[in-house]
Amino acid sequence: MILQKLLAKSPKLETRLELLELATGLMLFGFLQFHMFAVSSIILGVDAFNRDSARMDEYYLSYIGIPLIILALIVHGLVALRKAPWKIQEMRVFVQHSRRLAHLDTWAWGVQILTALIILVLAATHIWSVLVTWPIEAATSAARIQGGYFSNFVLLIVAAEIHAMVGLYRILVKWSWIHRKKFTNYLVYATIGMVGLGFLTLLVFYFRSIPKGLS
Amino acid sequence: MADRLLTFSIFRYNPITPEIPPRMQEYQLEETMGMSLFIALNRLREELDPSLMFDFVCRAAICGSCAMLINGRPGLACKTLTQDMPDRITVMPLPVFKLVGDLSVDTGVWFRHLNVRTEAWIHTDKVFNPEAIEERMDNPTAQAIYDAERCIECGCCIGACATANMRADFMGAAFLNRIARFMIDPRDERPMAQYFDVVGTDEGVFGCIGLMACDDLCPMEIPLQGQLAFVRRKMAQMALKCARCK
Repeated sequence: MILQKLLAKSPKLETRLELLELATGLMLFGFLQFHMFAVSSIILGVDAFNRDSARMDEYYLSYIGIPLIILALIVHGLVALRKAPWKIQEMRVFVQHSRRLAHLDTWAWGVQILTALIILVLAATHIWSVLVTWPIEAATSAARIQGGYFSNFVLLIVAAEIHAMVGLYRILVKWSWIHRKKFTNYLVYATIGMVGLGFLTLLVFYFRSIPKGLS
Repeated sequence: MADRLLTFSIFRYNPITPEIPPRMQEYQLEETMGMSLFIALNRLREELDPSLMFDFVCRAAICGSCAMLINGRPGLACKTLTQDMPDRITVMPLPVFKLVGDLSVDTGVWFRHLNVRTEAWIHTDKVFNPEAIEERMDNPTAQAIYDAERCIECGCCIGACATANMRADFMGAAFLNRIARFMIDPRDERPMAQYFDVVGTDEGVFGCIGLMACDDLCPMEIPLQGQLAFVRRKMAQMALKCARCK
């Protein structure tokens, strides 16, 4: 044992950070799926979408939820970064190791890091663009998607869903709440389903002309 | 199948002659019936290249000496049959452990160091009485301990672990499995807080990022996912309720 390690070591803190990563991860997973279903109400019609949005506004769900989610995103990102291979040597070790091993779960971790970086940038622009055109209405959302944000959303939906599903899988595996091999298939179907729903929502927004007065 | 000509691409490097850089060297050998990689390596050394270094003792998956990267994946040479492999077989030494030369690595020092660090022995104040009848243990506990004890310390789980590859101070599945074994042993009187101090850290169980290559590639098929999760849950409980812990 060496002095600085002896003094700096704190199992309690390290364990709590791990639990914080777990809690924020689960929270963001839940939010993402809720969000996907909520915006997909546009498939049912403009009125359904605007009614949902107005109701969340009315009960202050947006004003409590959005700051909480932003906080969770930041905390989750910072806590998860502990494990990422930041040194160039660590990164090279990880890539070479993954290539040698040809092991799906090991590669999936690389995908986690990559999608995390995509989410970091795209979720930030997404949140920003929503907040500056507050409140959320079908017309402003459609204008955004038709006005150049389409490709951003395609990438964000794919990255977020893959990150969330692989993340959930990793949590369930680490705490051994599931049988690994059986559960993988369910998560693949769920990912395809949610990405499909996201794309459908996006296409409805893209091709539907929504006059401002309808909101 | 027995008529195949196998090509072995083998990692060569001797730390004693650092002027010769690490390289892959190719050998060819005719496959024989029931040939294992262990047999193939011995024939290569006898017939083609006496300078080839690799470890083996028991040739029966008991000693754990012949662990190496076989086509990129950790495994025991003695347990790997060439009939299950393609015509071309790449063999490299296990990562993480100190390279002795070619395919030979020193797993002993690594395991010894962690045995000391985790105090992997029974801690008890009871004085042993050789005259007394041995204390009984219930069968499920004995079975669970036995399951963990099947580990032969070959190092495959360590070589397969991304965290162990990236971070030298990570304990890896072999040790977390070993600690799980002492946690359930009724003879060990260590309080959970003492385990927490050693394994409730990023060098311990929370260094694990759950990639489960250890679980997939353990030659002894020890249920490492469950073992790691057991330690993880115990440590999480400690963090939530232990007031005295640092």
